[in-house]
Amino acid sequence: MAKGRHWVALWLVAFLVTTWLVYARQTAAIRAARELADLRARRANLDGHRADLERRIRAAESRAVLVPRAQARLGLHLPSDSEIVLVPAPSGSR
Amino acid sequence: MARPAVRIQVVEFGVLVGLALLVGRAAQVQILHGRRWAEEAQAQRTERIVLQARRGALYDRHGTPLAVTQETYHVGIAPNELRDPAADGALISRRLGLTARTWQQALRRRYAYFAGPYSALEVQPLRSVRGVHLESVLNRFYPDPAVARATIGRLGDEGLGASGLERTLDSLLAGRSGAAVVLKDRAGREYESPARVIAPPVPGLDVVLTLDAELQEIAQRALDDALRRMDADGGDVVMLDPGTGEVLALASRQRDGSARPSAFTDTFEPGSLAKIFAAAALLSLRRVSPTDHVSGEGGKWSVLGRTITDEDPQPSLTLADAIRVSSNIAIAKFAARLTPAEQYATLRDFGFGAFTGIEFPAEATGRLRPPSEWTRTSAASLAMGYELSVTPIQVAMAYGALANDGLLLQPTLIREIRSAGGGVRYRHRPEPVRRVVSQDVAVALRNLLRGVVERGTGTEAALTNFPVAAKTGTARRVVNGRYAAGEYTASFAALFPADQPQLVLVVKIDNPHKGSYFAAQTAAPVTRSMLEQALAARTVALDRARLSTAAPRAAAAPADDDGGLVPYVVPWPYQPDSAGVGPRRAVPDVAGLGLREAVRTLHRRGFRVALRGWGVAEHTWPAAGDSAAAGSMVTLFADPHAADRVRSRGGAPPLRGPRR
Repeated sequence: MAKGRHWVALWLVAFLVTTWLVYARQTAAIRAARELADLRARRANLDGHRADLERRIRAAESRAVLVPRAQARLGLHLPSDSEIVLVPAPSGSR
Repeated sequence: MARPAVRIQVVEFGVLVGLALLVGRAAQVQILHGRRWAEEAQAQRTERIVLQARRGALYDRHGTPLAVTQETYHVGIAPNELRDPAADGALISRRLGLTARTWQQALRRRYAYFAGPYSALEVQPLRSVRGVHLESVLNRFYPDPAVARATIGRLGDEGLGASGLERTLDSLLAGRSGAAVVLKDRAGREYESPARVIAPPVPGLDVVLTLDAELQEIAQRALDDALRRMDADGGDVVMLDPGTGEVLALASRQRDGSARPSAFTDTFEPGSLAKIFAAAALLSLRRVSPTDHVSGEGGKWSVLGRTITDEDPQPSLTLADAIRVSSNIAIAKFAARLTPAEQYATLRDFGFGAFTGIEFPAEATGRLRPPSEWTRTSAASLAMGYELSVTPIQVAMAYGALANDGLLLQPTLIREIRSAGGGVRYRHRPEPVRRVVSQDVAVALRNLLRGVVERGTGTEAALTNFPVAAKTGTARRVVNGRYAAGEYTASFAALFPADQPQLVLVVKIDNPHKGSYFAAQTAAPVTRSMLEQALAARTVALDRARLSTAAPRAAAAPADDDGGLVPYVVPWPYQPDSAGVGPRRAVPDVAGLGLREAVRTLHRRGFRVALRGWGVAEHTWPAAGDSAAAGSMVTLFADPHAADRVRSRGGAPPLRGPRR
């Protein structure tokens, strides 16, 4: 009789351990999935941020913005070709 | 009362029956209906989703992104799930740009959906708000939407390329969608699991275009300015690299501000731009020599019942003069030396009347009728650029053939195709279509075009330090099948620099209303402006090492090398292109001027210049004040120490002949 109780207890413990393992594994998986989703969101956020910055840099660098400002603030002008000096590359240089 | 043993047996039997029923039911659930229940459970916990493939990006030749794909979001709101509707509502309204009225309407619904799409930045603060459900979707994004819009094109509602290169390259850019199973929790939130990807999405290929973003901006701004200043109906600018056939910039604009790809699709009669192709046939077939002259007929010539006129009448013209002053009469007379078949074959060889083969979904062939459909005056008309319709890209490629020593290349907009990992799958190599003229003839034709800018109709495009070869074209416009009174197309095709050209530019202005309608005063200055900006730009695809040698080599010559004649602007050995005597003019006094300024002054007065010596201008032969025929050669003597001597003489010009 006592031997039968031991077996029952043993099966019960085995069942509980197995159930706990399944539960722990599922919990870890859900947590990992949440972290993955968060990381994806962060990456998307950073990508968006980078794209926004690139767009603003492009806009700021464009001739439509730069040329009028350079003329108004610094008194610069677009050079005519006679004001452009192209220095010949030294012979033998690559 | 039954005995205990019997009762126990009954209980045992009952338990046994119960267990048997349990096992039977379990077998029924697990074995008989197992598949159905498994599917139902799977459907509750998981969902199969399509993984969108990232569409490949488009870059300019320097790697500047022109079209990229980004993750954006649709936003769903479940009002009953909001913890603090007032505070959450304020945040959501602010981030999504909703009005108070729109938000109140959303609150009255069970589930409000805002398609957006919203950027990751906009929705970031909403991620932690309960009741907000984000649905990510990949979206096409154009960092600078105005750049080459007509060329790049756009996507349609289905996410497929609808126009422009987005359409042509759709199969390369689109990639292949994948599939995955996502896990769902009790609230219906989805979690991706890397282990549950059924088929990974294959991202599209990235395409590096031949366009140069900075040149493109220069072209667009120059065209916009010109159209506004001239109150024109529209226009196009094409820039390409003649050595590779790569298109560097394409700008098109109509009066209403729209930008359809008219450089590929709209045809026009090129007018005098086509004269150089008649000259190509004449030179290739040796039907004209440099000294052959035809009469200018006083600027008006009637032939076969048609009157041909010249804007700048000349008494007598060579082929070079005909190109330089754009004489209709002379080119029509010279073209009569060609058979219709020869004239047609040359124009056909230059690519007119046929697709260029560029990677664009729409392209017009223009019109070049075969000789069997010609009238008696067709040969003269074609020589003058009428009875022929072309697209700006065809003109650019044909002039590119002249720049490329006679070899016509296929134009391209694609420089490289790369995999998502960066590996190069395709790299453009120049694709010759055919040899149109020999190298010698191409050089001769470039010299003719050079004369146009130095002394002809294209002087408004002349640069001080860099020689330019070009041709003007002013043609009447055809509206509803008839020539419209007072409407013209002004066009200009240029090779820069004239020696070893690196850039072909074609500018077309449709129907300018303000000021002159002649290309010399409309399209030519636009070309010069673009060239100056290109020279000053940092990243523009010009080989400045080659350009620096194309610039006046005299600048690098040693000061003591004052012996021989130095080629300067005028090609050497000089071949006179006109035996006609021009009007006589006084030779200006250039003593004491810098060499460059002295040469420029003499050029402005219509003289050709041969240099002797180096340094500061000392005197000229014929001497200052003497009269000489316009177009004749003036020898300029220079000396490094001339400035002192000129000052000591009070600036009086020396009167002596050439040194021996």
